[in-house]
Amino acid sequence: MSEIEDKIDRFSFVERVTHWLAALSFLYAALTGLSLWSHRLYWLASVFGGGETVQAWHPWGGLLFSLALGYMFRNWAGQMRLDREDRRWLRQAHRYATHDDSGLPEAGRFNAGQKVLFWVQSVTTLLLLASGIILWWPHSMAQGLRLTAILVHPVMAIVSIGAIIVHIYMGTAAIPEAFRGMTQGWVRSGWAAAHHPKWFREISKR
Amino acid sequence: MSRTPTVAKLIDTTTCIGCKACEVACQEWNDHEFTMSGLGGDYQTRPDLTDSFWNLIKFNEESHDGQLSWLMAKYQCMHCLDPGCVRACPAPGAIVILDNGIVDFNQDNCIGCGYCITGCPFDVPRLSPQTNKVYKCTLCSDRTVVGLEPACIKACPTNCLTFGTRNDLLEQAESRAQELQADGVTQAGVYNPSGVGGTNVIYVLAQADRPEAYGLPRDPRISWAVWFWKGPLKWLGNVVLLGGVLGTLLHYLRYGPRRYQDVRD
Repeated sequence: MSEIEDKIDRFSFVERVTHWLAALSFLYAALTGLSLWSHRLYWLASVFGGGETVQAWHPWGGLLFSLALGYMFRNWAGQMRLDREDRRWLRQAHRYATHDDSGLPEAGRFNAGQKVLFWVQSVTTLLLLASGIILWWPHSMAQGLRLTAILVHPVMAIVSIGAIIVHIYMGTAAIPEAFRGMTQGWVRSGWAAAHHPKWFREISKR
Repeated sequence: MSRTPTVAKLIDTTTCIGCKACEVACQEWNDHEFTMSGLGGDYQTRPDLTDSFWNLIKFNEESHDGQLSWLMAKYQCMHCLDPGCVRACPAPGAIVILDNGIVDFNQDNCIGCGYCITGCPFDVPRLSPQTNKVYKCTLCSDRTVVGLEPACIKACPTNCLTFGTRNDLLEQAESRAQELQADGVTQAGVYNPSGVGGTNVIYVLAQADRPEAYGLPRDPRISWAVWFWKGPLKWLGNVVLLGGVLGTLLHYLRYGPRRYQDVRD
């Protein structure tokens, strides 16, 4: 018999809207970007309306993502500081990955892996935005800048997409119920106590 | 092996008189309207190439002992054998290398990203703000296909410009350079830079020891950034992206989802 658990608010409405705005714009920017990454992926451009459409709209998708991420940064940066416990957690991340949690420091609202994702996305997005602006107006930028941008943009995109693949996996298949936290905004108390015990104790006190 | 010989254009700068007939012929054949630009206080038609001005004689001025001299050099797409624009272009079919070696832009497939501008070591392609497509000299691919010589060559009154097969013109260029050397132009030589695999626009320069004086780069190469981007980085990216997808899948198959009962004591 399963016991009845409390609903715990995980992410606020504003947090969820920001997250999904970022997610959709990221998906668009990533897929249209990939269509121009390799001739073999150019078929993706037809899915999004053809090469010219992709060329015209990819920068706007990226800009929208940057804005959404900027707002996320404003809301979350304070909660994302990596403390000593987090560093210890990261050194034992392989244990977390193999579901052997003995000796792992307890996570707060965000565990150290989520915090790292946040900082990876913040840095890559800043650099993607800067190099993207250079690539947006190739004819008014110096050759040296353009040559830097054609390297920085894909390198950052690879890091960013690589991190997001893991993020999507963690948020869907790997951790059941996490997805509901970001869609409907709530999790079960048992889930909160298990995955984010420090956070659960804090909100229980209130 | 293609039976079509590689075609080329030879520019003997020593016989160029700066008449600009080639510029006019280029505008006429390609049906480009001439638009005035600000005059730079010299004889050059305009400061630079544009999306509808593909052939420019650069009037490079030099002064020796108070005497002005011109190092005139016709400037257009070099039709490299290893073109940087082709490497950089993300749109299949937008830049094509024809059987006869001409590097041609097909505007129907061009998406206007401008990567070819970044890839070109000679700074030749120009993006049109009207059509958002890139344009440059076609070596009159629409004339050569029916056996006609390019318009600029047809118009040249001094035989400074020659059209022919690459092999013939390389020989001709060498012998002309030797002739000039024998006449006391000791620094005469051929400009066919190997960094881009050679160019199908070949120059004879009176001062081949300093091509910069003609507005030509000394040792043009496709930037290492373009090479790295389209070479190792592409592989690295594919490994990371495919690895991410396969890695997470394998993780799921091996360890399965993290149920919160798992982490309870």
